[in-house]
Amino acid sequence: MKRQLGRWRFLLLGALAILAIFALAACKEGYKGLAVSDGDPAPPEEQVLVVQSLEPEFFDPHRSNFEQDIAIERMLFRGLYQLVATEDGGVEAVPSMAEGEPEIDGNVYTVTLRDGLLWSDDVPLIAQHFVDGMLRSCDPEVASPYQYLLGEGYLNIVGCDEYFYAFGTAAAPITPTPEELQALRDAVGVKALDDRTIELTLTQPKITFTTIMSLWATFPARLDIIQQFGERWTDPGNIVGNGPYILTEFVAKDHVTLEPNPNWPLEPTPLLQRLTIRFIDDFAVAFRAYQTGELDISQFPVSEIPTVEGDPTLSAEYLKVGAGRIDAIQMQLEDPTLAIFEVRLALSRAIDRELLNNVVSNDAHIPAVYEVVQGLSGHQGNAPFEDIVGYNPDAAKQALADAGFPNGEGFPTLTLTLREDPEQKALGEFLQKQWKDILNINVELVFVDGRTRAQRFNTEDFQLFRGGWQLDYPDPENVLIGRYDRPGANNKYNCSDDEIDAKLLAAGRETDNDARIQLLQEAETLVVTKLCGVAPLRQLALLYLVKPKVGGVRPNGTIDAAMPGNWCAECWYIEEQ
Amino acid sequence: MTGYIVRRILWIIPVLWAVVTITFFLMHAVPGGPFTQDQPLPEGVLDALNRRYNLDEPLWKQYLLYLWNILHGDLGLSFRGDRDVSELIGQGFFVTAQLGLLAFFFAAIVGMALGVISALNHNGPADYAGVFFATAGGSVPSFVLATFLIIIFAINLRWFDILGWGGPIEWGDTFKASAWDLNKMVLPVISLGVLPAAYIARVTRASMLEVLNQDYVRTARAKGLRERMVVLRHAIKNAMIPVLTLMGPIFATLVTGSFIIENIFAIPGVGRAFVDAVLRRDYAMIMGSTLFFAAVVAVANLIVDLLYAVVDPRIRYGRS
Repeated sequence: MKRQLGRWRFLLLGALAILAIFALAACKEGYKGLAVSDGDPAPPEEQVLVVQSLEPEFFDPHRSNFEQDIAIERMLFRGLYQLVATEDGGVEAVPSMAEGEPEIDGNVYTVTLRDGLLWSDDVPLIAQHFVDGMLRSCDPEVASPYQYLLGEGYLNIVGCDEYFYAFGTAAAPITPTPEELQALRDAVGVKALDDRTIELTLTQPKITFTTIMSLWATFPARLDIIQQFGERWTDPGNIVGNGPYILTEFVAKDHVTLEPNPNWPLEPTPLLQRLTIRFIDDFAVAFRAYQTGELDISQFPVSEIPTVEGDPTLSAEYLKVGAGRIDAIQMQLEDPTLAIFEVRLALSRAIDRELLNNVVSNDAHIPAVYEVVQGLSGHQGNAPFEDIVGYNPDAAKQALADAGFPNGEGFPTLTLTLREDPEQKALGEFLQKQWKDILNINVELVFVDGRTRAQRFNTEDFQLFRGGWQLDYPDPENVLIGRYDRPGANNKYNCSDDEIDAKLLAAGRETDNDARIQLLQEAETLVVTKLCGVAPLRQLALLYLVKPKVGGVRPNGTIDAAMPGNWCAECWYIEEQ
Repeated sequence: MTGYIVRRILWIIPVLWAVVTITFFLMHAVPGGPFTQDQPLPEGVLDALNRRYNLDEPLWKQYLLYLWNILHGDLGLSFRGDRDVSELIGQGFFVTAQLGLLAFFFAAIVGMALGVISALNHNGPADYAGVFFATAGGSVPSFVLATFLIIIFAINLRWFDILGWGGPIEWGDTFKASAWDLNKMVLPVISLGVLPAAYIARVTRASMLEVLNQDYVRTARAKGLRERMVVLRHAIKNAMIPVLTLMGPIFATLVTGSFIIENIFAIPGVGRAFVDAVLRRDYAMIMGSTLFFAAVVAVANLIVDLLYAVVDPRIRYGRS
């Protein structure tokens, strides 16, 4: 009897164990409890996904400048921390290659790596590789476009700016000796104390430390691979990474193919056996390829929204994601007419942003009079600003009269610079008509190609300019600092306000996050209500089509780059049909 | 004849030099540079990038450096990924040439056949059909035709694929069966080939009609030759001379790539790469591509001129 009871107990325990295993498998945990499974995965031979993206320039994270490059690099590499989407639509930085949160002692931040990390070629991933990566970003000969993220005002790494500017500027060149250059490199405040410990010395504490340490400029580097292969180190077969995928094929202007990295240490492990990313810059082309079944995930043009919404199949596959991008009319404050606040107010209050979104963009985007986009901490929405700078034709006319131009009399013709493309043309014509109908003023539209437009912006050669901002990282400081303060590198419209400067300076130095967010909100309020070089128009949305067989897509517009949910490309998989 | 060929080849050198020089200075005169962007790079980054690519040197020095490099066969590195320009052009041209050659053969075969059939059935149903094709085909822009074909045959009927190129991307894959997918080749080839086919059909028809009314053709018929012999042995060969005149430029145009067709079908060809390089101010790629196109056109024209002598024995080159 005793023996029988024992056997039954054993069987019961065994059954419970099996049930537990099935339960765990059915609800695979992703980051911070965010479940990523939608359905059962298809067999491995069917785990093949084809996604559309723009063509990248580099696969070198320390030389990349564009989101499509960064999107792929996040699949090939991963930093000490990584940004993950939370269930409430927010974002947080969580440990990735790091074991946990940094230890902070004044300006010194110490990060410990997880144990047992490997590169895709089985070489141990050690602290020095992260140091080498950050030094590459500070290296003047690498010329990283995102060096500024590690320098003053951002991560504030000691010596990074001094090293990067070792050769001076074009106006004041310097020729350092090799010894001087090495000394500057050695003075950069990133050190590997041992194989698992990285010490960063900052000029001042940085509350967004883990956020910035998740960005591509901090990814690790293998100097031995770079030295061995030179510029070809990112070719398939040469490149090694520590991310969830490895690069196995690259055809210029066509595609890359990625396969799972067997040494990826985190959950989830990629289920996809092959991920192909097709380079298609023209969304109309991508849309047609999606319709023929040659793409599983694709963006599509705003003009096709009625087609998509009118088709029962496509409408079920339509995914719209508010992006980390704000679209605005930038106003050159050095211009004598635009320097008058009432003129800027009149222009802003004469824009019906709801109608603009409907007519120009088929309701694709989010009408906005704010700068800090939805999804970011401190987002204030339209409510605080709508009655001050939002659409009100009577108030617009009054403002123009207050400026000395009643009914547009004597108002000079302004120019609005836009990029040459159909949506920009529609936007420009809409604004031109609104300003004519409501204010009786003339605005000339100037269409130029992308580089010419950028040149005019950079040289401040514009009056009105359709501009805006795309987030480099999901924090409100990235929307405001450097854009509305002096001498902000992006402040080409010459917003010059002591109050705004003071708020942003204080926010950059604040170590209490709530206080920092409060300061940034106050700065945003000043920027928007004073129309300090900007009249926001809309928060852009990204439009995707995703085949029903694709699971694990968790889009978050403030951290995705070029593809929906690609902050966790390892989460993607093909569901069983 | 040998002297003529040598002289023509030597003339290509100053032509290419002129093309390089004009393109170089025009390219730098256009506003915006390779690193100009909406969210401007910090000044230090811009300086560092210009230093890296020697763009901080005076323009005349950059020009001489470029000339020196191309004399050594070095077309430089694309700013996009630091990839070798000659490698990118080679890879792109391999794809573009496949598309161009297939489109050329399609255009030549369809165009000449239609033109001959039309001429032989002058004012008959076949002639009207041929004229209709020549008019319609020559009037509809290739991107309109391509979109039309995609909607009907790819999206609605699902007969063909439309993304990418169905041939090998690299030379080494040419004899691998897996590198070929004819399903992807049909629509881009037809889209690209219809316009030149229409033009060839019109010229062939006109030329054939003129030749068929010649005295020697009348004489051949009077002597009792069968119509097939009259057409094949006497008429077609002489009718082809004006057709050959336009085959050379057509061949050069098709083989150097159609940006529009390559863009519509996302084909990784050299035409698309070139336009992309211009928009991005990728100087090395612009220069390399322009030099390449100029060389192809110069060589193609030389080949056409030599073929004249083959087709028409009355034409001889050399010192008079």
